[in-house]
Amino acid sequence: MKLAIALKAEMLKTKRTASFYFTLVGAAVIPFTFLLNLIVDGLDDTRKDPLNSIFRVASEMNGLVIFPMFVILVCTLLPQIEYRNNTWKQVLTAPHTKGRVFLAKFLNIHLLLFLFLVADLIFMGVVVVAANFIDPSLHLLQNPFDLGKVLAKWGNMYLAALAIGSFQFWLGLRFRNFIIPIAVGLALWLTGTLMVFEYKSSFATYFPYSFQTFSLLPRTQPLLGQMAWTSLAYALLFLILGFADFRNRRMTA
Amino acid sequence: MQAPPVIRTTGLSYHYARGVQTLFDINLEVPRGSIYGFLGPNGSGKTTTLSLLLGLLNKQQGDIEIFGQHLLQNREAILSRTGSLIESPSLYGHLTARENLEVYRATYGASKTRIDEVLGIVGLDDTGNKVVKKFSLGMKQRLSIALALLPAPELLILDEPANGLDPAGIIELRALIKRLNRDHGMTILISSHLLGEIERMVSHIGIIYKGKMLFQGPLAELQGLQRQRARLLLRTSDNEAACRILREHAPELGEEGLSVVYDDTEQVARINRRLTEGGLDVYLLHPKESDLEQLFIDLTSEHA
Repeated sequence: MKLAIALKAEMLKTKRTASFYFTLVGAAVIPFTFLLNLIVDGLDDTRKDPLNSIFRVASEMNGLVIFPMFVILVCTLLPQIEYRNNTWKQVLTAPHTKGRVFLAKFLNIHLLLFLFLVADLIFMGVVVVAANFIDPSLHLLQNPFDLGKVLAKWGNMYLAALAIGSFQFWLGLRFRNFIIPIAVGLALWLTGTLMVFEYKSSFATYFPYSFQTFSLLPRTQPLLGQMAWTSLAYALLFLILGFADFRNRRMTA
Repeated sequence: MQAPPVIRTTGLSYHYARGVQTLFDINLEVPRGSIYGFLGPNGSGKTTTLSLLLGLLNKQQGDIEIFGQHLLQNREAILSRTGSLIESPSLYGHLTARENLEVYRATYGASKTRIDEVLGIVGLDDTGNKVVKKFSLGMKQRLSIALALLPAPELLILDEPANGLDPAGIIELRALIKRLNRDHGMTILISSHLLGEIERMVSHIGIIYKGKMLFQGPLAELQGLQRQRARLLLRTSDNEAACRILREHAPELGEEGLSVVYDDTEQVARINRRLTEGGLDVYLLHPKESDLEQLFIDLTSEHA
């Protein structure tokens, strides 16, 4: 109950901020790009199994770039709300434990991540319906659609981002200057992506910022299950370390 | 029987960096129903003490009891009965006054009507949809006090609440604090670096300097100390002879003449009579100014 109250307080703090609209805009990037592509160039390379292919391509593009970027930005910027407003002292003199404050902030971020994924699916659905009207000859809606597979892909996207989300959340709480956590996040994402695509490093299976690439390559797809568990373990580890740091640190704002 | 103090610290010491002690053996006692002025120059350890009382800093040495309960073991219960404002306003600039209070309302178990009440108390009930970042500093300070009042606290801790307020704002704040104490029975601990700012509203005073308590007690006790320290400045035809005549008045010889302690104006007349009876001409007889502000400066400079 007290955690629910703390979570509600966190949600209220994000009112009038750009976070909600940022989430919806972020979720709309790939569907909009797809729609634009469809209008300009038509649908060509997905003719075989068009409906499932559309969702597969969307999940790959989202999973590799858009969603990790969104995670890095949201996990870093949302905890910054207290630094920006000089409100840490008020938060920590409220009758809540530090653990509850920490967890409520973490859950609030995950609500936004969840909203992103759901909105992305809905936008994709809208785009598919629109595509059907734009080019009825495609008969998109008459094609088979594997919802389970689509949900699994979206679930993988979330699981792959768990570790980096926890790490970025820790950094966002740790640094008053938000540039540092974002720069660290972007640099590590680039490193993780290069490790897989360019260097084909075997270390990538242990490097959280590489996990978003696993669903893209045939050689890493069998490792998706292992990746999910590793990501979850990292998320827990970073959460525990982040909380220990948060509990022992003097919040000066 | 006297009620136990709302706040009691025993041997409270704190250091930020190793070897740099900020607080030394602070034994604070804030009586129930009092307005306690916690006074000290900037950097004397006021905010550190208040931060320890609110659990913002982890206690290193000593003990803190609030409402008769140990802070460490009963932090949540104590904080739910305590309102606070530490230094500058802690508000969300992108939210309205009402939304800022709404963020904490459920945490303190306050009703929706309580929001209107506290906004009314601080005179911010007509700010509508204006977001806090567009407020003046005085309005922000008042909203911070409204936030501190949200839980209908038994104890209010205000750290330099008059910072940044204009004279009219300070007078308003003073009236508000007196009203809260009188009408709602709140115990109020208020810190300041200016005695003049708080001496007209406090019932008790604690003076801290370089992390050490120099004085603590009712305001009347401090005023008694002030009277004890009042001195009479004299200049006569023979100041050394005057020193001998007024030996029991602890005379001090200085460049501008001599000064002696005195209790009241009748004693000033007696001193004058004794000097003239002793064959001395009295050129100057002038009570030296010693208001509370001077006493505060004296107390702190003695320990500088």
